[in-house]
Amino acid sequence: MAQPLVKKDDDRDDEAEYSPFMGIEKGAVLQEARVFNDPQLDPRRCSQVITKLLYLLNQGETFTKVEATEVFFAVTKLFQSKDVGLRRMLYLMIKELSPSADEVIIVTSSLMKDMNSKTDMYRANAIRVLCRITDGVLLTQIERYLKQAIVDKNPVVASAALVSGIHLLQTNPEVVKRWSNEVQEAVQSRAALVQFHALALLHQIRQNDRLAVSKLVTSLTRGTVRSPLAQCLLIRYTSQVIRESASNSQGGDRPFYDFLEGCLRHKAEMVIFEAARAITELSGVTSRELTPAITVLQLFLSSSKPVLRFAAVRTLNKVAMTHPMAVTNCNIDMESLISDQNRSIATLAITTLLKTGNESSVDRLMKQITNFMSDIADEFKIVVVEAIRSLCLKFPLKYRSLMNFLSNILREEGGFEYKKAIVDSIVILIRDIPDAKENGLLHLCEFIEDCEFTYLSTQILHFLGIEGPKTSDPSKYIRYIYNRVHLENATVRAAAVSTLAKFGAMVDALKPRIFVLLRRCLFDSDDEVRDRATLYLNTLGGDGEVVETDKGVKEFLFGALDIPLVNLETSLRNYEASEDAFDINSVPKEVKSQPLAEKKAPGKKQPTGLGAPPAAPPTTVDAYERLLSSIPELASLGKPFKSSAPTELTEAETEYAVNVVKHIYDRHVVFQYNCTNTIPEQQLEEVSVVVDSSDAEEFGFVLSKPLRSLPYDSPGQTFVVFEKPEGVPAVGKFSNTLKFIVKEVDPNTGEADEDGVDDEYQLEELEVVSADYMQKVGISNFRNAWESLDADLERVDEYGLGPRESLAEAVNAVISLLGMQPCEGTEAVPSNSRSHTCLLSGVFIGNTRVLARLQFGLTGPKEVAMKLAVRSDDIAVSDAIHEIVASG
Amino acid sequence: MLLAVLISNSVGNILVERFNGVPAEERLHWRSFLVKLGADNLKHAKNEELFVASHKSVYIVYTVLGDICLYVVGKDEYDELALAEAIFVITGSIKDICKKPPTERTFLDKYGKICLTLDEIVWKVCITFLCFLVLLTLRN
Repeated sequence: MAQPLVKKDDDRDDEAEYSPFMGIEKGAVLQEARVFNDPQLDPRRCSQVITKLLYLLNQGETFTKVEATEVFFAVTKLFQSKDVGLRRMLYLMIKELSPSADEVIIVTSSLMKDMNSKTDMYRANAIRVLCRITDGVLLTQIERYLKQAIVDKNPVVASAALVSGIHLLQTNPEVVKRWSNEVQEAVQSRAALVQFHALALLHQIRQNDRLAVSKLVTSLTRGTVRSPLAQCLLIRYTSQVIRESASNSQGGDRPFYDFLEGCLRHKAEMVIFEAARAITELSGVTSRELTPAITVLQLFLSSSKPVLRFAAVRTLNKVAMTHPMAVTNCNIDMESLISDQNRSIATLAITTLLKTGNESSVDRLMKQITNFMSDIADEFKIVVVEAIRSLCLKFPLKYRSLMNFLSNILREEGGFEYKKAIVDSIVILIRDIPDAKENGLLHLCEFIEDCEFTYLSTQILHFLGIEGPKTSDPSKYIRYIYNRVHLENATVRAAAVSTLAKFGAMVDALKPRIFVLLRRCLFDSDDEVRDRATLYLNTLGGDGEVVETDKGVKEFLFGALDIPLVNLETSLRNYEASEDAFDINSVPKEVKSQPLAEKKAPGKKQPTGLGAPPAAPPTTVDAYERLLSSIPELASLGKPFKSSAPTELTEAETEYAVNVVKHIYDRHVVFQYNCTNTIPEQQLEEVSVVVDSSDAEEFGFVLSKPLRSLPYDSPGQTFVVFEKPEGVPAVGKFSNTLKFIVKEVDPNTGEADEDGVDDEYQLEELEVVSADYMQKVGISNFRNAWESLDADLERVDEYGLGPRESLAEAVNAVISLLGMQPCEGTEAVPSNSRSHTCLLSGVFIGNTRVLARLQFGLTGPKEVAMKLAVRSDDIAVSDAIHEIVASG
Repeated sequence: MLLAVLISNSVGNILVERFNGVPAEERLHWRSFLVKLGADNLKHAKNEELFVASHKSVYIVYTVLGDICLYVVGKDEYDELALAEAIFVITGSIKDICKKPPTERTFLDKYGKICLTLDEIVWKVCITFLCFLVLLTLRN
């Protein structure tokens, strides 16, 4: 036995010094592990050795393959012992050693025996170990026992099987999905523990089946769920169901809201929080729905437990982003949290207050924050800086005090991320608040005088080059910029040279002096700096007389590079040095990756700082336009009138994911199929969509543009063009089949085989509807716009909409049929109302403005009638709108 | 996801650590971050007083029990409330095994039993069940 353990009794008195593992060494412990091979096993001694092995592993020690195998084989001998404690250690050790597939076989039969043992503890543990080390083949052998275990009357055994199922679902989903019936039975278990795990597993099994999840939620919200944890899960699943059914039932009472509200009165805090969060995250949540949730959260703000205070303030902070007014009631409690010992809580409280505060409270808040900033870490400071930036954009009149605050903290100590956050904020304020510009630029100039971060210096210099020349006195920035040429590293010097040149190009009065400065840069020690100075002097005319800089020169020097950098890089790599110079026009402008903004997570949209170009970020429409105009066949069609949102043509999690965007032109319709190949072992080539338009008589096929290659997980687009009568809102259904050549990809080299096989894949149908011809264009004053249109061009008619679930459902149906923009919030129908007026506006194909006034009324039980009045610039369009409603 | 469970002694030496889905190169960073967090805040803390912190989108709940410090780290559904439950179960079982808030010595004396219990925590019938899932996530 190791020395420290022998010493144990002698050293009892000296508690502080003593450790049973003192001087422990892997080699020695591995030697000790030989006791596992003794014919007469000593359970106590074996347990001690296993403890040491565990201690080593928990200290981050690793075993080599040979060592692990040796220990594993030795450990398997311990199955001979009947000692319960040792058997438990044995299970743990096997899991720790993660035996390889060929070793597993040694213990399988022993574990299977234990799995059917009469001792509950053996059964549960053996299940967990087996599931941990098993592979697909073995799993099918033990599946029968696992199914039995799920419905075992001992909750621990059942839970062990269920939790193992959750893990196995990742590796062997098809097997676990077969256990659905047993899991369903376990959901009804009387044991809270089993119910919780069963619910988690059942949801994972069915997560892609919306209807099944909805049924599960409906039945469980009516019954009683025993464990608070299961209740939390149920709340999460309920929110998911509410989200997915949101489109069908807006306006009226929200389904399951009563359940969520009831959970706010649950005895477990965890459940209360879960329900409150679910309510605050409901889409389009009303203040009436929010109130009960905010009230319980407010109570937790003064809880004695930091975890609860943190949870409450964190949730309220999130609510404040979307519904600041709803949180103002909590401001007093929140202010007392600024002095909370826990800095995370204090930061959240501050940032919440910054979001909910009004203009008059800004100065007071800033004072509190100044004291607070010095004793928090950088990561919290960044959060505060971002909150101050938003506050300043909200109350531009307060820019002076907020900008001063930012410049003060910019001078203090701090890391790169923190400084970058401050600089980004100042830049955004300069861009958005004209009055703040000169003041802000000077703060930035002072900052680069003593800035240790090259990245920030160059970015600020670039920004100065854009904004500085437009100020009332550009000359005052020159000194700051030129100082950089003397005092900085080559990267910053080069940036400073470019900035100087920009001033020269844009401010003629400064030109002669700028040329003097640039000429001095010709003697710089760095070639990039010299090259830039030479280029600028030559193109701006530094060697001749001072003239206004040509627009073309400005564009050449400072214009944006209108080519995706990835494409440029590829072209440059492929370029072989020869007589012919590299031609930048040969670089394709087509964006290779999918330009769809909606593919990204709907995360918060933050204003970008220095990193982004000064123009507004491109919208999805811009991205489409750029994409379409980069393809010669499509560029000739002109500019699309409207591009629809993408419609999925495949189920989730299929081999190939395809969605379609409909681009509507005056005489054409272009279907853009966005395809993604989700199989790593395949590469698709010559991908196209064959469209059958027999149910769309007015459309005639023009061309199809296939996608040359579609590697794994790299989305690409293929297009199909149809023509249609000019200006006519033709409708029809199209069936689609994806055609391609599939090639196997070698997993080692990543290269595709030369030979491929033709294959096709059936996609869902797509439909061109009337709403595709309508742009949603909102107006601020409907009445004025309505009256500005000629009353003679008005068409009025009445329609019976038949039995409807609710008035709100009828209103939404008509809005989506017409595809117009609801105005003045009239799309929201108050609950229990018996009549409603909805105002819509839009631009119809042919650029015709259209306004519609819809009056709905309930005529009988659930029978809805509608009076529709349409005005537009063209009577034919007013008629067309009526036709759409009549045929819809 | 529950990212880590870490138990250290009062001077920051690691006694038990479990990472889940944390790349090996980031573990050292987490270890030192947590130990520093403990050194800054746990010095005068009462037994089982819970502390909470968030670092980017990750939550940390930590506490002190006798001579040892416990940290649990999670993200997404393992927010501060779920982590508080988890740490409550862990401290509860350690107290059960050591009979009282442990000294470092009693903790190490019972080390094997503590490892077992952390693995099989479900045997304590009185305990909330989340941790079973939590710990199995780490172990299985």
